[in-house]
Amino acid sequence: MRDYNLVVIGGGLSGLAAAIRYARFDSSVLVLERHSKPGGLNSFYWRQGLLLETGLHAMTNYASLADRHAPLNLLLRQLKLSRKKMSFHEQKRSLIRFPDKSLSFSNDPEYLLAEIAVKFPHDIDRFRSLISEFRDYPALSTDNRRLSARSYLEDRLTDPFLIDMLLLPLMMYGNSSEHDMDLDLFIILFRSIFLEGLFRPRGTIKDFLDLLLDHYRSLGGEIRFQSEVAEVLTSGNGATGVKLASGEEVYCGNLVSTVGGPATFRLLPAAVNKEMIAGRISFFESIYILPGKSRHKLKDNGNTNIFYSLKDDFVFQRPDQAIDPSWGVINFPGNFQNLPESDNFQVRLTHAANYEVWQGYSREEYREMKVSWAEKSREAVAPLIGNFYDDVVLEDFFTPLTVEKFTAKDRGAVYGSPFKIKDGRTPYDNLYIAGTDQGLIGIVGSMLSGVTMVNKHILLYKAPVL
Amino acid sequence: MTRDRIKNLIIEIIQDIDEDAVTDNLNPDEQLRDQLDLDSMDFLDIVMELRKRYKLQIPEEDYPQFATLNSCVDYLEPKLKDF
Repeated sequence: MRDYNLVVIGGGLSGLAAAIRYARFDSSVLVLERHSKPGGLNSFYWRQGLLLETGLHAMTNYASLADRHAPLNLLLRQLKLSRKKMSFHEQKRSLIRFPDKSLSFSNDPEYLLAEIAVKFPHDIDRFRSLISEFRDYPALSTDNRRLSARSYLEDRLTDPFLIDMLLLPLMMYGNSSEHDMDLDLFIILFRSIFLEGLFRPRGTIKDFLDLLLDHYRSLGGEIRFQSEVAEVLTSGNGATGVKLASGEEVYCGNLVSTVGGPATFRLLPAAVNKEMIAGRISFFESIYILPGKSRHKLKDNGNTNIFYSLKDDFVFQRPDQAIDPSWGVINFPGNFQNLPESDNFQVRLTHAANYEVWQGYSREEYREMKVSWAEKSREAVAPLIGNFYDDVVLEDFFTPLTVEKFTAKDRGAVYGSPFKIKDGRTPYDNLYIAGTDQGLIGIVGSMLSGVTMVNKHILLYKAPVL
Repeated sequence: MTRDRIKNLIIEIIQDIDEDAVTDNLNPDEQLRDQLDLDSMDFLDIVMELRKRYKLQIPEEDYPQFATLNSCVDYLEPKLKDF
């Protein structure tokens, strides 16, 4: 008895990509999404008539149309989405700012090389050979090895500042471990941010999600919202389907879960329900909307992102207090090339946060603390971008609790568990993990994860020698 | 299906996979991958399309048979004789 050949748990970007990939060849596929909207971490909501995006600062992995083997173009071909129907806006440039040094980068790697040649001349040749090593690195490693990115960099570069400055943006945009980073992940992010680059699709994340959903439905795939999976049904070594929170049972041939490692294991029968460690890296983000004309009051306002550390010794870890504003990212989502004129200018400030501290607040305290930590965050970045608060017309804050509530991320850990399941396998033969906890990060990365897991495990694919 | 039709079918599938594929003047004995600059992930789509359209089950060990246009035709001719 089978209702669908494939059921995908989670209607975020990896789940939608997995479902579209499969629906291209067989329309018997169902996506189950807990919320009333798709997108998971990368979704949207409305405030005072304005659409605000969650998650998305920028997409990584920009590639020109001509670069046929680039992850972005490969992804679009695998999903049969025509690049010609889409329009992308590249970042202007981004800044990595430490107390005494700064580095700018754009989507042209030569720009970063020139910056490093000026600011770290003693390491430029070593940096060049590092880049050539990375270019040939296999992008979609599904090997479960774990190596240290820090030791790798310390073996190859001499300046500890340069190492920290390279690590800061990559850690901010995808590291789920504290202090160090998995080498495979580092190389994937290095390529997707420094060699390929940042961009965003035209319109909002809602437009992008609508495009994916329309395409998925046109292939015959189905999606159900407000359908939370409560349990994975099993028999022997196989998964037979899912039981929804409503009690309804849906039977299927294969299952792909995109709700993360820890949350997937909790759906399994008690005997295999091993406790998986949720990540400790979560963030506090504040969004400020200013009138467009207030933009000129901000310093460095031509950047897309400013990754900053106010201290020389930046440590990527969960803070002991609610947030740590001494490092983070300042994002100006309006700063992409050729965006249409907008009558407002947006500022987003993101810092590491402590889930337990936020969870410990009473309802009343929680509301007050959001406001008071947001103030500390603005004070911390004022020397970098100036004071802008007087002009703010709309503000909103996300804590790790907000993320946990609206996405499937345990403890609000946006980059998932530090223990990745790179081969996507679980104790059940036909249940696979895709998305952030499979080890690929970012919108393009998590979508490729969905595609790759469907290819490898369900469409029976191993790279044919051709 | 005649050899010519099978050849056209493969080209049709490739164009379907990649709207930018230049399929004019393909050398039937040269590697498709090199001529079309396709990624190995794209080749799975040829196999999947054949499965979808003609219910052909192509085992993984036969994937190398899709290396050139002529080797595709040789391989598919007996399998598509009733279509």
